Amino acid sequence: MKIDFKLNGKATSIDVDPAMPLLWVVRDELKLTATKFGCGMAMCGACTLHIDGEAIRSCSVPVETIAGKNIITLEGLSESEANLHPIQQAWMEEQVPQCGYCQSGFMMAAAKLIKENPNPTDDDIINGITNICRCGTHPRILKAIKRAAEINNQNH
Amino acid sequence: MSTEKKSFSRRKFLQRGAIVLGGSVVASYVGCSPMRRFTAQKVESMDLPASISSLKPDFWFEILADNTILLKSPKIEMGQGVWTGLAMMAAEELEVSVDKIKVEHANTGSGLIDNVNTGGSSSTSSLYEPVREVAATMREMLKASAAKQWNVDISAVKTENGILSSGVEKATYGEIAASTKEWDEPKTPTLKPKSAFKIIGKEVKRVDLKPKVMGTAKYTLDSELPDMLYAVLVKSPYLDAIIKSVDSNEATKSAGVVKIVREGNLLAVVAKSFYAADSAAKKVVVEWNTPNKTQQADLIKLVTVGNGKEANIQKEGSAKSILEDNKTEVFRQEYRTPMATHAQMEVNGAIAHVEANKVLIITGSQGPSQVRDVVAKAIDIKKDNIDVHTPLLGGGFGRKAAPGLAAEAAIISKLVGKPIKVYNSRQHEFQNGVYRPNTHHVLQAKMTKDGKVEAITHDQATPDMYVRNMVGEIGLKLLGSDFLSAGHGASLMYNVPNKSVSVWNTDVPIPISIWRAVGMFPNTFAIESFINELAHKAGKDAIDFRLDMLINKDDKIIERSRNVLETLIEKSGWKTPKADGVGRGIAIGNDRKSIAAAAIEVEIIEGKIKVKKVTNVLDMGQIINPEGIKAQIEGCVMMGISATLYEELTVKDGQIEQAYFSQYPLASLSDVPEILSFLLEGDDVPYGVGEPPLSPIAPAIVGAVLNLTGKALRSLPLRLS
Repeated sequence: MKIDFKLNGKATSIDVDPAMPLLWVVRDELKLTATKFGCGMAMCGACTLHIDGEAIRSCSVPVETIAGKNIITLEGLSESEANLHPIQQAWMEEQVPQCGYCQSGFMMAAAKLIKENPNPTDDDIINGITNICRCGTHPRILKAIKRAAEINNQNH
Repeated sequence: MSTEKKSFSRRKFLQRGAIVLGGSVVASYVGCSPMRRFTAQKVESMDLPASISSLKPDFWFEILADNTILLKSPKIEMGQGVWTGLAMMAAEELEVSVDKIKVEHANTGSGLIDNVNTGGSSSTSSLYEPVREVAATMREMLKASAAKQWNVDISAVKTENGILSSGVEKATYGEIAASTKEWDEPKTPTLKPKSAFKIIGKEVKRVDLKPKVMGTAKYTLDSELPDMLYAVLVKSPYLDAIIKSVDSNEATKSAGVVKIVREGNLLAVVAKSFYAADSAAKKVVVEWNTPNKTQQADLIKLVTVGNGKEANIQKEGSAKSILEDNKTEVFRQEYRTPMATHAQMEVNGAIAHVEANKVLIITGSQGPSQVRDVVAKAIDIKKDNIDVHTPLLGGGFGRKAAPGLAAEAAIISKLVGKPIKVYNSRQHEFQNGVYRPNTHHVLQAKMTKDGKVEAITHDQATPDMYVRNMVGEIGLKLLGSDFLSAGHGASLMYNVPNKSVSVWNTDVPIPISIWRAVGMFPNTFAIESFINELAHKAGKDAIDFRLDMLINKDDKIIERSRNVLETLIEKSGWKTPKADGVGRGIAIGNDRKSIAAAAIEVEIIEGKIKVKKVTNVLDMGQIINPEGIKAQIEGCVMMGISATLYEELTVKDGQIEQAYFSQYPLASLSDVPEILSFLLEGDDVPYGVGEPPLSPIAPAIVGAVLNLTGKALRSLPLRLS
């Protein structure tokens, strides 16, 4: 089935099994690999991306449901390397990643969170983001999200 | 453009570097008896875990045309920051900034093979001297060549940030490397003294930071080869299951399927995409023989002190006869740790391309040379024909010290004749993995009337965690038990006149492997929990009680441990009044000369233990990258909380019962305590940082609960009722 959607601002068309999870369309068909496979059951959040501005776990989204929608992956989060999204700026400042594997998902979830809540508290973040990290970067994730919110507020 | 590579090959320092690199974990743990020491030395010289098979000179560095320097790391980056530490050490002697150094993993085909896995928190310490020596030698070679080309004395050539200069002459390292026909070999240069360090010990950003923030960092699952097919393995959720029959009729008809392959117990669906292979694999109907009927109670029974083979690894005075003298009360307690899994975020995966006499493997492993061995055996090909490339690892924690899926990928690639990419499902990771085994500990002590420990014993029951992998069945028999990995940390560091420690080795019908901090984790939990209980019983402060047993001016470890605890008292506010509802606990461990201690404050909120504050003091010797060390401490705190409060694997009817993250909860953002970290440089060489801060977390939490409630919890994960 042919499905048309927007991916990181570009009109995209794909002809695959309509039940194929969006994660595999993005990674294997369209070769954007920032979005990671962690569990395939929407439990860990490594595959989080944005669908029409919502943070969604793409491993459990059949591609047919995204026709006409606007998909943003980590590759499309910043305008350019010179003009990083506040989340990525804060992730650099706080040196959040260790192995890095879960970080795309965390950054995508965090970008959505600060858009909705410009001044999140620790509790807001804890309640809003349930992704899994095994390296234990959680303390830096909390710091970086609050820092990103600050950067965001300064920019506006 | 690379340097003239041959010039490095004859250097003695490379050989020395190789020896240091191979400096195996065996040497540092050896216990008491001369026989045991002899055995361990034998093991070390057996050319098994600790040698470098090739010393081809292009291993370390290449000067690239853009004047950056490529450092090919024999140690694997799995998040612990080893690339950054190595780049800093090299940059220091090369007189370049860290951002001029690009790091990538050495592939096995490029020459040097590190036969020791990346693990044991040993990478930075083992390479501290060799990397700087090679870098300094390279700098001197560049200087000598520039001096010759400019017709000046070498002493007139200066190096600064990748530029060589003398008077009006000026050239980049890249330019000199390109214009040098023949290299002179300088004497091994003197390394910079600590006082001259400009990079080591200073703040730098991780070298892998930007790719990881931009999403461009490549892991195994992101790697590709042209014309590659995908394979999905069909596995049983039961341990040791054997295929009885296969019906693949429906699966064969599934869209995109290329072939269904079976070799022995290996069953895989090969298709044009992962999705196609995965969809078809669900349609394969398999009947399994499931001979493994292990129950949880069996494991508990097997792993019990008194069962299996005993190896006494520490004996001073006559602890046992004092404990048996019936004159005074013996304080005796038992502790248990559960089976656990690594749950690293990136599942195991591999890409293999098997051609007639050439095999390419791409896999994120902590031991690329072991991957090569396993593949050689699996498809019966010479090791030299196999080249193993290692992308970044999405977490290791010991899980990727096991073989992974390279052999499976190679077998399938050979059968299908195309490059194959295969990876586990999360369920496979949980149920078809290798596990941290359960352990059992019995501690006994007698105290004098004034609360001094007179005699103490520790008996640990554990399956082998890694020794069998290193030295085989015969090695394990010679050693008596796995006191090197599973029993690491079983010995008692305290000055007590009479002490005795034994490790009881028992085999379990479960695939076992190492898990971050290996034996230090269960042993520190048991020993330090017991010490906290003794202090409690004696009515003494838990840190003062320890300091009384850490007196020996001639023992550097003891002195450094004292310093760590005294610093911890001050930095954690240990002796300041605490709020109502708060309990404080402490624990310390010596993990291969890194001394780590934590003071922890807990509260009990809605019947649950909540860790509120963790103050860490770590003496890891020479600091390389302070921010990197702090990140490792934070990671250890979170993994420690996770393992203490939540993690437990159980087995039923030969099946690991936890198959998904929902059944194996891990610490999350809601568990983040206030974390303070203080670093002490009690030595002028670096020791490990990736594991040592983990082990004190569990017993310090237990100590805090004891302090708050008067109740001693002795089994992980902790349950209040």
